[in-house]
Amino acid sequence: MPNKITEQKTIGIVLSTMPKYSETFFSNKIRGLQNKGFNVILFVDYMSTSDADFGCKVEVAKNFNKGILNRIWYGFSSILSSVFLHPRRSLRLFNLNKRDGVVFKENFKRIILSQFFLKYNLDWLHFGFGMLAVNRENVAAAMKAKMAMSFRGFDLYLSPLKHPDCYKTLFKKDIRYHVLSQEMKTDLMNYKISDNKIQVITPAIDIEFFTAKNHTSTNGGLQLVTVARLHWKKGLEYTLEALAKLKTKGIAFHYTIIGDGTEQERLIFAAHQLGILNNITFTGKLPQAEVKAQLEKASIYIQYSIQEGFCNAVLEAQALGLICVVSNAEGLAENVLDGKTGWVVQKRKPELLAEKIIEIVNLPEDSKQNIRQNAIARIQKEFNLEKQQKEFVHFYKN
Amino acid sequence: MSKKLKIAIYSGDIPSTVFIERLIAGLSKKHCEIYLFGFIKNKVDYNTSISVFAYKNTKFQKAIYFIKYSFLLLLFKNKEKNSLDKILKKQSKNILLDKVKFYPVLWHQPDIFHIQWAKGLKDWVWVKEFGIKLVLSLRGAHINYSPIADLELADDYRENFPKVDAFHAVSKAIAKEAEKYNASKNKIQVIYSGLSLNEKLNISIKEQKVFNIISIGRAHWIKGYTYAIDASKILKDQGLKFEYTIVGATNNIEFAYQIHDLKLTDEVNLLDKLTYDSVQQLILNADLLLLPSVEEGIANVVLEAMHNKTLVLTTNCGGLSEVIKDGDNGFIVPIRDSSAMAKKILEIAELTDSKKESIIENAFQTIKANHREQQMVDNMLALYKSI
Repeated sequence: MPNKITEQKTIGIVLSTMPKYSETFFSNKIRGLQNKGFNVILFVDYMSTSDADFGCKVEVAKNFNKGILNRIWYGFSSILSSVFLHPRRSLRLFNLNKRDGVVFKENFKRIILSQFFLKYNLDWLHFGFGMLAVNRENVAAAMKAKMAMSFRGFDLYLSPLKHPDCYKTLFKKDIRYHVLSQEMKTDLMNYKISDNKIQVITPAIDIEFFTAKNHTSTNGGLQLVTVARLHWKKGLEYTLEALAKLKTKGIAFHYTIIGDGTEQERLIFAAHQLGILNNITFTGKLPQAEVKAQLEKASIYIQYSIQEGFCNAVLEAQALGLICVVSNAEGLAENVLDGKTGWVVQKRKPELLAEKIIEIVNLPEDSKQNIRQNAIARIQKEFNLEKQQKEFVHFYKN
Repeated sequence: MSKKLKIAIYSGDIPSTVFIERLIAGLSKKHCEIYLFGFIKNKVDYNTSISVFAYKNTKFQKAIYFIKYSFLLLLFKNKEKNSLDKILKKQSKNILLDKVKFYPVLWHQPDIFHIQWAKGLKDWVWVKEFGIKLVLSLRGAHINYSPIADLELADDYRENFPKVDAFHAVSKAIAKEAEKYNASKNKIQVIYSGLSLNEKLNISIKEQKVFNIISIGRAHWIKGYTYAIDASKILKDQGLKFEYTIVGATNNIEFAYQIHDLKLTDEVNLLDKLTYDSVQQLILNADLLLLPSVEEGIANVVLEAMHNKTLVLTTNCGGLSEVIKDGDNGFIVPIRDSSAMAKKILEIAELTDSKKESIIENAFQTIKANHREQQMVDNMLALYKSI
């Protein structure tokens, strides 16, 4: 098969599922690249009929878990495809894997599972999350494409704890890395990845949609809000503890948590034990317009995460003119500049978070307004889609 | 001699938890017959007073089981079968599966059906229609927090608790909690978990290089391990040389990240679930058993540590304050308070050997007075006979 690279660069982006419309990070990226004349192909493990259409080619991996007959048929057709359609690439992949110490049986399996990549001629093969590139370390090289990968937070900080040494082989490869924050870059460099291979491209938001109204205070008392999956890494239990301290100090508030997840029972019970269940609304997951409406009703946005790559929700809240208090988890201290565009509090210290909220409540209105304006201006300048798209074009051009 | 009481102990699984199995074994030595229904997780050799009417969780076994009991009922108890079928038609979401579960109980018709977990109560209320008395154990999560987050479950409890003939509460605290869901106070009896005592265990104050703390229990948020790990950070900052082991929490990414993030990898270890005997040995070797839970019925592991002559520090949750008196037979700190936990551990580490010995001895006496297996079995039998 000829490996001719056309004028128009082709980028293969590997994801586990199709991005949802709400997953702004990927949908922005795909659209942005298409607008700049790149040809984008999405490689996904699963796809459902309700998935969004991004106007690009989508290649779905064969589902080997669909019963024994399907497995045999897919295995058989993949072997045929590797022998007759992509023999050179399959052999190259086999040899590269072998050089990495992959034993024959595993190597054979990897070649079968990689067939869905091999028929395309790509300039770049970009893995959207760290773990997606594990066991596929040599696919790009076998296709003679450049390899890129994004780390988004969870995959850099948590996956290696669950799967020790999962990136050991990967980090030896020639890869261009994309991370969301300087902090992530520093942490990635601790794995002996050189500085010039890592580019920080922060997330971006639609600043046309998230535009602040001219309101400075709300009538309904102190309204606090968080948009987050109900997952331990979002630090919501610590947040509730901080709010219980506010209540003890006689400060009236209402806290709205927008999002759903597996930790709902834990959080409701914590709120119950801490005596603040009546001060909290769990809205569940909401569509974007309703999220925006909820944010506009609130005055302080809290993101007291334990682990956070960067966090789009905090960008959106700042753009809407909310005062943000965040933890110092990974990228958050770059998302919000402490004392300038909001406040950053050490994580896992609910007493410090409570003190900070009280401090903010007691600030004079002009100081609050100053912070809001700084945040809005910074978001508009630094975190707009256009800037992000330019950075991605730059990422692939160099 | 009076007729033997036929008691079904139902937890769904066979075998059940250590404490329920201990109750089963204890009762089987009394003048009664024990029936076990449900599905078999592992094979257990029970004595002859215990009859197991259970199936393995395969379609084939369930089918055989269903056919057998359908025939028996059709031939000999057709009227009862028709009545049950009518009830199921009204309430059942999965009639076939329910028949597999219910037909054997209708056929063997025990005098008492004792349900161990409250969430299953709704399914079994029908037994009352056939003269079977219903007993419910009030244990842990099913009472303490599930109905708080799940309001539908709370409504189910309010509707069905009045139909129960007697409740067994594992602590006074959980009895009080159950009253919120219409469990009538005079139908509840508090019967504490019991252990078979080993009087020969000697107190041994361990001479160890570092202070050895242990927690035991599944990696669930209710166990409050995040507070214990935060407390470990404070201990490290305060200069205490210690090791903290959590048994049953390996592979939990939340704890693993917290340990990594707080730079506690040299101090805090997560271990896999271990056998009962290995756990007992670990408790024996530890300086302190820590129970950092945010809620409990009564934590059996605390009773075991008190019996094994290991110091105990627990949070003030559920029925634990009914067992532990702070500074007398163990130590108590408030729930959700890592600072208080760390402060108390530092105090405990500084105790003189004689003080430790006296607390350990008091703890053993508490077990001897209130948590003997024989006591638990006798009280439970009295409860069955009272209805």
